[in-house]
Amino acid sequence: MRRSWLYVVLTAALAVAVAVWAVPHLDGDPTTKVWIEGNDLLAVSLATHVDSLSAQVLLLAVGVGLLVQIYSTAYLGHHPRYRSYALVIVLFLLGMIAVVVADDLFVLLIGWEVMGLCSYLLIGHEWQTPIARSGAAKAFLMTRIADLGLLVGILAIGQTYGTYRISEVLAQEPKNSTAIGLLLLVAVVGKSAQFPLHTWLPDAMPGPTPITALIHAATMVAAGVYLVARLLPILEPSELVMTLLAVISAITMLLGALFALVQTDLKRALAWSTVSQLAFMFAALSVGDSDAGTDHLLSHGAFKALLFLGCGCVMHAVGSSALSAMGGLRLRMPVTFWTMTIGFAALAGVIPTVGFFTKDSVLHALEHGRDEGPLPGGIAVAVFCVALVTSFLTAAYATRLWLLAFLAPAAEGRTEPHEAPRAMTGPLIVLAVATFALSIGQPFHLGIGLLSTAVAVAGIGAVLARWRRGRSLDLAAPWLVAELALDRPYSRWIPAGLRSSARAVVDVDRDGIDAYSYGSASTAQVASRVLGLVQSGNVQRYATVIAAGVIVVTAAAVIWT
Amino acid sequence: MIAAALTIPFVVGLALLFLRTLVSGRTAAWLGAVAMAASLVLFALVWEGKDAISGEVDVEWIDLLGARLHLGATAISWPFLLMTAFIGVLCCVWLIADDTAPALVGLVLIISASSLGVFASLDFLLFFVFFELALIPMWFVIAWWGSSSVEPSAEGDRGGGLKNVPGPDPRLAARSAATRFLLFTVTGSALLLVGIVLVARDNDSLQLTEIRGGPLAAAVLIVLGFAVKTPLVPLHTWLPDAHSKAPTVGSVLLAAVFLKLGTYGLIIASSVLPEGFADVAPYVAGAGVVGIVWSALACYAQDDLKRLIAYSSIGHMGFVALAISTMSPIGIAAAVFGSVAHGVITGLLFFLSGSLKDRFGTASMRAIGRGLYARTPWLAVAFVFAAVASLGLPGLAGFWGELLSLRAAYEVGEVLDKPFAWTAVGFAVLGVALTTAYFVRAIRLLAQGEPVAQDADRDLTVRETVVAVALVASIVVLGLAPGLIVGLYDFSAVTYSGTYTPVAP
Repeated sequence: MRRSWLYVVLTAALAVAVAVWAVPHLDGDPTTKVWIEGNDLLAVSLATHVDSLSAQVLLLAVGVGLLVQIYSTAYLGHHPRYRSYALVIVLFLLGMIAVVVADDLFVLLIGWEVMGLCSYLLIGHEWQTPIARSGAAKAFLMTRIADLGLLVGILAIGQTYGTYRISEVLAQEPKNSTAIGLLLLVAVVGKSAQFPLHTWLPDAMPGPTPITALIHAATMVAAGVYLVARLLPILEPSELVMTLLAVISAITMLLGALFALVQTDLKRALAWSTVSQLAFMFAALSVGDSDAGTDHLLSHGAFKALLFLGCGCVMHAVGSSALSAMGGLRLRMPVTFWTMTIGFAALAGVIPTVGFFTKDSVLHALEHGRDEGPLPGGIAVAVFCVALVTSFLTAAYATRLWLLAFLAPAAEGRTEPHEAPRAMTGPLIVLAVATFALSIGQPFHLGIGLLSTAVAVAGIGAVLARWRRGRSLDLAAPWLVAELALDRPYSRWIPAGLRSSARAVVDVDRDGIDAYSYGSASTAQVASRVLGLVQSGNVQRYATVIAAGVIVVTAAAVIWT
Repeated sequence: MIAAALTIPFVVGLALLFLRTLVSGRTAAWLGAVAMAASLVLFALVWEGKDAISGEVDVEWIDLLGARLHLGATAISWPFLLMTAFIGVLCCVWLIADDTAPALVGLVLIISASSLGVFASLDFLLFFVFFELALIPMWFVIAWWGSSSVEPSAEGDRGGGLKNVPGPDPRLAARSAATRFLLFTVTGSALLLVGIVLVARDNDSLQLTEIRGGPLAAAVLIVLGFAVKTPLVPLHTWLPDAHSKAPTVGSVLLAAVFLKLGTYGLIIASSVLPEGFADVAPYVAGAGVVGIVWSALACYAQDDLKRLIAYSSIGHMGFVALAISTMSPIGIAAAVFGSVAHGVITGLLFFLSGSLKDRFGTASMRAIGRGLYARTPWLAVAFVFAAVASLGLPGLAGFWGELLSLRAAYEVGEVLDKPFAWTAVGFAVLGVALTTAYFVRAIRLLAQGEPVAQDADRDLTVRETVVAVALVASIVVLGLAPGLIVGLYDFSAVTYSGTYTPVAP
């Protein structure tokens, strides 16, 4: 146990150092600093840019990271591979910090992909199980392939603006927005699990739950939002990119919420909820309101980390993440119950949690997107309507999960669950407090606030009414349970195509391309056999050939002279 | 100093060959390591700056032909020299074991020294002599110390009856692979020699510092000669056999050093024959990117780990070829960086697969079994690290070579045209994605999974650890400080023909 605290101390030191760096920048006051100047040809310089937004995201990342490390001492402290687990978390945090503060796009890319690698390693922490292996491989492949969009996008930015420094790029007039925007969009859609590359996130759930809270809720998946928010000024001029972003986010938020509504597994439901909430942030960005988007990023980071960590406590107690194994935990696990209640309230958008305020800002931004901002009016209205429907669904599934996990009758034949140890409940309480504390100073929009509260109440009420009447909360919608088979291309078609083309390549390599070497070998054999006839060792034949040669030479000499 | 750096490993190598009955394998390996380390230090010390030819030696040799013993390290060759000597040291360290044959150490030294000679030559004929000198010892290394897996792999290309390989005898399989390697490269060399003669006749000089251009035919022949060595698709079929049948140090030298003879040669060709090379450049680029995708697909179907790594080398060399074909300063930086990075990363991969083959008698992933994370933790971690470096994770050495060559192609340069270059970028990016896929597959098959313990499970030994740590450290250093190499080409305006004349600072 003592050795596990070593890593907590390490993370705490990192967190303190980052906090000392970030806190002075919270009030704006952006600072760009070049630590190591790059050379002309490579043009990679170690430069950082810290402003109010990056300071907030930094604090969120190291804060949640520290809480997760503390939580993990109890959750995984006795795991034989705890050391590598804890060290990879530290490496992950370094990657996230690099992404957030980087002013040089290559440094950003390094952090971006280091995060992806850590995510891969941590999802595959339980690599004995096939489900963790395939989940890890899928997450890594999908995000890394999407990251290639970022790589080419960076090259495009470099060639368009003549620099790879974000601050210098933003100082120029936007150029070539559509091409750059589309490339970046590929990367962002992959990293933040948006439609159509959304299927890796739910499959990443076999990873340890604290990791899910850190990487797949609060930080890495939100890095896509952060990147778009940071580069919004050069993307905004392209109506195509913004429309595409809006459409993607509308589809994703609705799908995510629908899938979350029908899950029978608490953790997977929360994963779909994350997908849906990330889409909320992108919707705000697509109407050009980066503040609304990033505010929701921060608030979501806090309450979703809370929900996942709470989910971990429940799993710790009942030994499964299936909703059917839960129920009746309200009295058994009071701290988990109350903190998760706060988390669910924030997810559903209940005043006065921070979730209410930031969702409100997003809706407000969307509503204004009709008249101003980069989107065509019709699209903005459509996205606004989808967002309202999603709010309704979100309130509904939050209520459903809350009821099934804590208030439903206890699953039969299970040992009595007990409250999680303090190292696990402590972080929950901190995050629950943060869920209220972050509300301070958030903007409030009366009209939208009333509307969204009405929608949330309707969603909660609909589920509660059903529950009161004693009806099942499981929707009979097999298509939704199968998640519309959207995963099929990634789980079947592409791997099958890859395998068969790989086999074809190996065959062609052996029988096709190699033919010329065999061909030349057989030509040589035939030639040697023909030439071998000449060298038969028969003196009479040699004499004949010599004689014929003499005659020919003599004849030639006679004719030509 | 360069002469000493070349002579020491040659002399020690020859001595070990002739006195192989007098020394034990362990002593021989120690001697070899010391000789290569001395060579490495000398090459490091010889550096006089990127604008000059360092440690130039220029003495008369064959007056009749105008060939001279002209040696020196340039900004382009110096990274290759250091990498080769470094890999040579590690190969010798690897051989510090009781069952090492002293003659093998001698051959390793001669191969390394010949390769160093290639990189250090400033005379085209001398270059060619060293180029050939490295071949024969490699034949012996593969044929005598090579082996094949106990059971021939299912995907192995034991095909037509023309190949003189009866399946069961592993020694014969190795000999056939060695002969195949020799025939392919000697054929390439023949073309190369004709090309060199044409260039020499045109310029009336064999000195790389003086050659300026040559006929198109010469460029075609020279590029073809180097393309076999690099190798570019479709001239690559010798490589998987040779790499997978060679002993560990043989595979490492083949991948880390021999392929670099090809890429270095292509760089030379692009620099001394700019016009001719510009005409062939699109074909080089095309073969390069097709190779990236082709080899990545082939990797995906491999079961033999050494074959997989061999195929992956073709892909990495494709990036280098693409970079060279742009004929821009950034392309040269990319080519040199990519070559050096591939040397250390693939060197590590081959060393580790050699460890596995030593333990399990085969490199078949199915036979080695799953769950190495649990069975041999450090070996598995080193393997995963090498795989991740090889698939080009930013922050490690493999990334910058790929990135710079993508950038070189994206910025098009003056030789290729834009649609072609951008298509090439597209293919290369697809190749990166496929590379990730096959390495993830390999990690999944080897490192992860329910561990089934075998008797042969042993973690890294001391010598293996030394080699692995040295390579991991260099991969990380190159990954975090790419400027170390790229800075050598940091001229504001590099003229191509000026690469061999000091560029005014």
